Amino acid sequence: MNNRFFAECGYFASTSFLRQELLLDISAVTSAATTPVRTAASRRQDPECAAEELAKALKHEELGFVLFFCSAEYPLEALGRALESAFATVKVSGCTTAGEITPQGYDRGCVVAIGFDRRYFAVDYALVEDLARFDLLRAQRLVDQLLENCRARSLASINEHSFALTLLDGLSSSEEQVLATLDAALGRIPSFGGSAGDDNRLAHTHVYAQGHFYARAAVVIMINTPLPFEVFSTHHLLPLEHKLVVTQADRESRRVLELNAMPAADAYAQMVDVPKAALGPQVFARHPVAVKLGDQHYIRSIQRVNEDVSLSFYCAVENGIVLTAMRPAPLLHDLHHMLDSLHQRLGTPSLVIGCDCFLRRLELEGLGELGQASQLFKRSRVVGFNTYGEQHHGMHVNQTFTGVAFGSLAR
Amino acid sequence: MRDSPDIMPETPSERALAEENRRLRRICHALMERVESGGAANGAPYAAFEHAVLLAEQVRERTEALHRTLDELGQANSQLHEAKADAEAANLSKTKFLAAVTHDLLQPLNAARLFASALEEHRLPQDSALLVGHIGRSLKDVEALLGTLVDMSRLDAGILKADIAPFQINGLLDALAEEYRQVAGVRGLTLHYVPSSVVVSSDFTLLARVIRNFLSNAVRYTEQGHLLLGCRRRPDGLDIMVGDTGPGIPELQQEAIFLEFRRAQPNHESHSRGLGLGLAIVDRISTILDHSVLLKSLPGRGALFSIKVPYGQLTKRSSELTVEAAQVGQGPLQGAVVWVIDDDPAILEGMQALLRGWGCRVRTAASLSALEAASDGEEPAVLLVDYHLGDAGEDGVALALRLRRCYPALPVVVITANHDAELKRYARELDMNCLLKPLKPLRLRMLLTSLLEERAT
Repeated sequence: MNNRFFAECGYFASTSFLRQELLLDISAVTSAATTPVRTAASRRQDPECAAEELAKALKHEELGFVLFFCSAEYPLEALGRALESAFATVKVSGCTTAGEITPQGYDRGCVVAIGFDRRYFAVDYALVEDLARFDLLRAQRLVDQLLENCRARSLASINEHSFALTLLDGLSSSEEQVLATLDAALGRIPSFGGSAGDDNRLAHTHVYAQGHFYARAAVVIMINTPLPFEVFSTHHLLPLEHKLVVTQADRESRRVLELNAMPAADAYAQMVDVPKAALGPQVFARHPVAVKLGDQHYIRSIQRVNEDVSLSFYCAVENGIVLTAMRPAPLLHDLHHMLDSLHQRLGTPSLVIGCDCFLRRLELEGLGELGQASQLFKRSRVVGFNTYGEQHHGMHVNQTFTGVAFGSLAR
Repeated sequence: MRDSPDIMPETPSERALAEENRRLRRICHALMERVESGGAANGAPYAAFEHAVLLAEQVRERTEALHRTLDELGQANSQLHEAKADAEAANLSKTKFLAAVTHDLLQPLNAARLFASALEEHRLPQDSALLVGHIGRSLKDVEALLGTLVDMSRLDAGILKADIAPFQINGLLDALAEEYRQVAGVRGLTLHYVPSSVVVSSDFTLLARVIRNFLSNAVRYTEQGHLLLGCRRRPDGLDIMVGDTGPGIPELQQEAIFLEFRRAQPNHESHSRGLGLGLAIVDRISTILDHSVLLKSLPGRGALFSIKVPYGQLTKRSSELTVEAAQVGQGPLQGAVVWVIDDDPAILEGMQALLRGWGCRVRTAASLSALEAASDGEEPAVLLVDYHLGDAGEDGVALALRLRRCYPALPVVVITANHDAELKRYARELDMNCLLKPLKPLRLRMLLTSLLEERAT
């Protein structure tokens, strides 16, 4: 069963990368055994065994916080209990996914985790259970409390060296308001995150905090570190000529009933020239639509075709918004370029936490490029999950690769 | 529906047009609705998203603007850094040059002073004695000016560090009062001195320099009347004050006079020998000592300078240097064996003349072995040694330590041009005394007297 398990410390990653870098990494490990982060993944289906494997790989005296992403196929209550007992006093948070990114690249049906060394990271998190009543006052209190607890560790100055990571229930339909409120409270502190997934079943997505999984909830994780870091977001989609106007929408359920005064699915199928019956995630991934605000296009991803020929979205919709048809440019090229620029600015990242839209994964699968993307992730030490939507500086965005990259401390 | 009621579409193309017309109206309506809502933040989720995008865009623009500004500032800053480095390098080389020049000048001047002092001890015809006196005073003036320049360059280079120790203030002020009573007398002024035995904690030499500068200024600028030297106890320290009945300093100039090369009344040529550095030195020293300096003045009535010195606690050893002024005359110097080691033959000759004049039995040499060879087994009563003995070999302190192996507890006076407080402290720890170049004969005599007296008891 050994080959079904892989757990490795971030610095031990055997990469085909520059030999020189490999040498540097080894010296880092041998010099003080102070790798700021360790990453591990387990494919064991039994929750107890999976939790045990992760704990074995991540636990050390200075382990301060564990962030994990797990397949929604796990028996969640049992996995929650197992993780809680395996990591004992160490704080653990995470969410369910529509696919995982392990130290080896894309995977499914497993659990991946990151262990943060308390000497390099001050981490605190808070659970928001009542998303509808998350007002500015609550947000401010929550942020203040998180910052206070990080500040108490006095690792690095709060304003320059902190960011917030948000994990939201991806089917709660409340990302926009929660994010706008939270962003106002965060002020200048950067934030990013992902909406939890459930392996494309679109039934229940969960975030994990305080030993339990919660639906219709959010987790806000504050990370303060002296390591250099950069929050980023990228996509590979370009605008086309064609536009659709939302002529009837139900904002509560994120449904678009009509586009160009036609049944929404009909109008969309006609525009992308695909039979209505063939509409599904693969088509949505290849033929996205976006709203244009200022000079930028923001993808608004379609979730599914409903029986009444309306379209459900992964994000807020409104009457009168104009959707621009988009086409994908080579995804791998964009990803490569993005990761390269991170290398240039931060050196070889010690870790990248990535929130990768599951539609991107679908597109890669369709193109047969999943393996190549995995290699790129592995090389840049990306660990993360496939989302039902990403968050970037208070914006709820779709079909992007969004995350944070950590550099190394200057030696 | 408000579809055109008048014309009923009949042909398929007419029907298609009518349908398209209907849809366009709907699209138009939706767009108008959207435009008229103006994206107002009515709590709708999409509005929240739009708002977030708008904010993010603003932040991005501002960040870009900020980065541009930072870049510009960074460039300006690096230019300033370069300019500053250049200026500092120039200043440092100036300071080094000045220090080197003054140091080189001090050596021959030292010798000249010793010769002049020795010559004064000779029995001379009256007019010659007068001339010798003039030479002596002129040399003293040169020495004072050079000293000022050295001090200034050392202060600027940050070499001079305070050597704080407790001492009785009258040990300092009595001597200064005596000295300046005579100086003032020459100019037809009187000096009122109010003695005080309060113990203060300060650097004896540096504080002396400050008060000396106050007194010199007072003498220099006061045409008639009197000077005052005294102390006043305050809760936070002892105010040492020097007052005069001179022209005073207009309020506008009261700050400027503490700058270099400034004098209150530059047309006051008649007796100004100074460089205008006196108060600039006071300002730097008071900063080093962390003593505050105060000036009160009424133009036409006079000026009162004061420096606030913290109180101190006398320990056993610290009163030694503040000896009662040595009486000139027959004393312990008579017949005392004094060994002098210096690598400069002119200095040795000068020392020999001076010390002989005081009745000492002097042995001089450039090295310890030469001296021991010449000493005929005679035991020294005190050793005078130059700290800097040529470029090679040991320094004066090491040599003295070596000699002390034969003669334990031998009193040692280290003579140095090095104003470093560290050396002074080191010497004191070894129970040695330091005198600074240019050597002041009176000071040497006081020190030798006290050392020999102490040895006798």
